Order: sequence, then C-alpha cells, then structure tokens
Amino acid sequence: MNPQFIMDGLVAGAMIGLGAIGVTLTYSILRFANFAHGEFLSWGAYLALAVSGALGFLATGLTRPIAPFSFGWSLPLALVIAIFLTGLLALVLDAVLFARLRSRGSAVIILVMASFGASLALRSLLEFLFTSKPAYYTKALQIAVRLGGGLRATPDQLLSLGVTVVVVVVIHLLLTRTEIGRSMRAVSENPALAGIAGIDVRRVIRFVWFIGAGLACIAGTMTGLLVQIRPYLGHDLLLPLFSAAILGGIGSVPGAMIAGLIVGLSEAGAVQLVGAEWRSAVSFVILVLVLLLRPRGLFGRPA
Amino acid sequence: MTGASPIPAAGAPALETRGLVAGYEPDLPIVRGVDLSVASGELLVLLGPNGAGKSTLVKAIAGVVPIHAGTVSIGGRDITALPAHRKIGAGLAFVPQTENIFATLSIQENLQIAAAVLPKARRAERIAAMYAQFPDLAVKPARLAGSLSGGQRQMLAIARALMVDPPVLILDEPSAGLSPKIVADVFSMLTEINRAGVTVVLVEQNVKAALAIASRAIILVEGRIGHEGAAQDLLDDPILARLYLGTGQAMEARRP
Ligand SMILES: Nc1ncnc2c1ncn2[C@@H]1O[C@H](COP(=O)(O)OP(=O)(O)O)[C@@H](O)[C@H]1O
Ligand SMILES: [Mg+2]
Repeated sequence: MNPQFIMDGLVAGAMIGLGAIGVTLTYSILRFANFAHGEFLSWGAYLALAVSGALGFLATGLTRPIAPFSFGWSLPLALVIAIFLTGLLALVLDAVLFARLRSRGSAVIILVMASFGASLALRSLLEFLFTSKPAYYTKALQIAVRLGGGLRATPDQLLSLGVTVVVVVVIHLLLTRTEIGRSMRAVSENPALAGIAGIDVRRVIRFVWFIGAGLACIAGTMTGLLVQIRPYLGHDLLLPLFSAAILGGIGSVPGAMIAGLIVGLSEAGAVQLVGAEWRSAVSFVILVLVLLLRPRGLFGRPA
Repeated sequence: MTGASPIPAAGAPALETRGLVAGYEPDLPIVRGVDLSVASGELLVLLGPNGAGKSTLVKAIAGVVPIHAGTVSIGGRDITALPAHRKIGAGLAFVPQTENIFATLSIQENLQIAAAVLPKARRAERIAAMYAQFPDLAVKPARLAGSLSGGQRQMLAIARALMVDPPVLILDEPSAGLSPKIVADVFSMLTEINRAGVTVVLVEQNVKAALAIASRAIILVEGRIGHEGAAQDLLDDPILARLYLGTGQAMEARRP
C-alpha cells in the first residue's frame, strides 16, 4: 500500500479542519446548522481569484512565482483582501436574512431552510459570474519534493499545512485568551445571561460570522490552490465540514481541527483501500457513528 | 435649555416602573400594569404565589422579556428602551433565578466578563474587591464555575452583578434550592450589601426569611400589585399572608 495517501489525507484534512472551525464557531453561537457555510469557501476562493487577477493586472510583477511556490505575491495579498470581503458577505447575508429571522423568533428549522436557499442562490450567482469551468490561481507547475518514508508533497501543500497550523493556534488563543473570545464562549453557553452580564450579543454574533467566513475563505483559497477552483468547491466539502465539526465537538476549535484531519485521512484511506467512489461515503459514516455513539463529539461538553 | 433634562432629579426613586405591561407574547401580557417605586437604600421584597409574574416582572425590568407598555427608570433616568447589555451600565444589576453563572467558564472568567463593562483601569481593582468580599471564590479562581456548590454559585452570581458597583441590585429567588444554613449566609450577605448603600429588590418564596431582612414588601398577584406595605406588618399578619401567598407560604411565615 502506497503511504502517499497519508500526505494527501493530511492536506485534505487540514482544509476540512479549517472550514470546520468556522462551522463549529457559528453553530455554537447561532445555534443552527448553516448549510450556506460551504458557499463561503467557494466565494472566498473566487474572491481571492478576482482580487489576485486585478492585482496582477495592475502590477505584473506580483504574478511572478515566489520560489519554490507556484504563485506570486498577488495571491497572499488577494487572500487578505478576500478574507475581509468574505467576512463582509457573511455579515450582509446575516443582516438581510438570518438576523431578521432571529428577531422574529423563528424556529431552528426555518433558519436551516433559509440557509439552504441562501446556499443555492450564492452558488448560482458564482456560476453566473465565473461559469462552471474550473479556474486556477496560477499556471505554474510544481514538482513534489521527497520527504522521506515514501512521502512526497509540493511546496504549496507544505505551505498550506503550515498556514493551517498557524491559523488554528491563533484562533485557539483568540478564543481562550482574549476578551472577545471569552464573550464568544459566554454567548455560546447562555445568550440571555450574556446580555444581562453586559455583553453586546449582536456584536459577538457579527464577529463570529466574520471569523467563520474568513476561515472559510482561507480554506477555500487553499483548496483552490491545491486542487482547482469550481463553484461547487465548498458545496462538495459541506458534509466533511459538518462531520468534522460534530466529531470534534461543537464549539471546540482543536476538536474541529483534529477531527478534520481524521476525516481527511479516513477519506484518503478509503480511496486507497476500497476505491475512489467511496470517498464521499466516509464523512457520512463518521457523522452517523458520532451522532449514534457520542453525540457531543471528541471534545464537546456534555449536553 | 428646553425639553427633558437627562440629569436625574434629586430624590428620584432608585428604581421606578410606571404602568409596566410585559410578557413573552405580544398579545399575552403577564405583567399587567405595575407601578413600582423603590427608594434609594431600600431593601424591597417581592412576594406572590407561583406564576404571579414575579420573574417576568424583574426580567422585563432587566430587559430580557419584552415590555409592551410603560416605563422603567433608574435614578430618574428612563432606561425602558435600552438593550439588556446596556442596563448594567445604567446602574441596574440583575441576578436571574437559574443559570445565573457561566458554568463552562472559570470563576475568574465569569468575573472578567462582568468587569469588561468597566473602564480598563478599574477592572483589576474591582475583581480584587469581589474576591475580598467573597473569599470562597478566591480559593481557586481557575476552577470551572460549573463545578461550584449551590451556595458558591449564588455567591459568584452576586459577585458578577456587584462588579460594577451598581446602585440597584435585583435578585430572583437567590435562596432557591439552597440549604437553610446557606440561605442564611446569602441573606446576611444581602443585608450587608444593602447596608453598604445598594438598593435591593429581592424576589422570594422564602417568605419569612425575606421579610426578616426587608424594609418593605410587595405582593404580586396575577401580574398586578395586590398588597404593598411594611415588611413587619406582613410578618405580624398571617391572615394577610395567607390571603395573598397561599396556605403553604402562610404556614411557613408563621413557623417560629
Ligand atoms: N419563558 C416563558 N415563556 C412563556 N411564558 C412563560 C415563560 N416563563 C413564564 N411564563 C408564564 O408566565 C407566567 C408567570 O410566570 P413567572 O413570571 O415565572 O411567575 P413567578 O416568578 O411569579 O412564579 C406563568 O403563567 C408562566 O407560565
Ligand atoms: Mg419565578
């Protein structure tokens, strides 16, 4: 058996983990499963594409690949801007849709259905704007480097893993060591008491939308870089994202990341052992098993 | 200058409601026109049978139950329209009956959250003051609040509310579910807080103990004020107590 599947699983798992952190944070604060979260990955990827294209058009030098990677400075710069734009997209979506439903006291199922609708609309809009033809940030090809033990990885893949580790640590510290992180945990436990204690719950909700969508943008852009950019990029990751968020335990950032790696590795392992057509069944099986055996996940608090 | 003055009138009640109507559904008022006036420095006890609307009344004052009509003011300042998280800054601290601490956060984090509404320079000093006032909490500040005993939880909830040094403190049945010994501790703590100048409104089922520390009592019946008078009068008048509070509570009130 080829050990390379471990590397592929780790890389895929890192993207799933990043996306799942966004899912777990928004789920724990907003208390509904936002099925439009996958579209934030897709939109993030395309926004990064559009901005990096614009930057490359303005200054051609920015597209020259930074050795040993396949992309120029236009992409990391575009990513920073795209994070803000994706965050903004989430805030607009909340303001025009979810906030209204919340203030009306709508049931969770209404919010979930609304998120389905939003997901469909956002995806169709992407297809309309960018067509469904796959797109790429760069045309440069990369040679994978040998890492020993029969594993190989491209510099882009290794960079993505590194960025993921940094982002996870930053988000974890944000949640555990800062005032806004404390407020997020308080709102997640008891929004009514949070208000009584002086926390502006609506501000915390806006912050969480922004962070969740920003992380989705990073995950989407990395997936776009390592695979390709398609309007269905995020949609196809939705089930793995939710499996990872639930396996990790809702609200747990390290849990979402570790579970993302587990899902990614299991998928890659399944492809090796039983065939590629089983890949998408893996997340489903994990999701069902967790819900049946340990609904609070690996690191979730007991209900 | 013309128009309403934002400066509180001298001698304005610490807490006042006028014609307060409130409830969970728009067309279903639970609190049905309450005029409440609590003088500065008073310890008022709010009694009434189960389901009378006591919790709903104090939650409406605290901004977590919708107000349909009427006004709430603190020291003469109208705070009816303020969102819940701004009431604490306006001088109104509220300790709900249940789930009144963040169980998944540490003791220290619970206090830090309360301190976050203060200017940065005052936070450390106020947190230290709370640890001094509630030494039990200072033993292991990193402990999860969810692991505290009932009495300690109540102390943490009260410390959280007192963090901003509020002129008005409202508590919803702080003695619920506590042993008599702990209830006595909580009540003596409340007396102390009141003596230090905080106006206290206390919702209670524990009628006798509450009347013993209160200066004035209000009995809420079906969302309206049914009786209002000195706490002592109610203690001395078991018939009145039975009339408004039901036999169970009247019995308790008479118990030596
Ligand atoms: N969250 C709620 N939603 C709807 N109705 C409620 C809620 N809480 C209490 N009520 C109703 O409001 C009325 C008054 O309850 P409450 O204010 O808790 O009374 P008390 O505190 O005096 O026992 C009761 O009829 C109760 O059923
Ligand atoms: Mg009550």
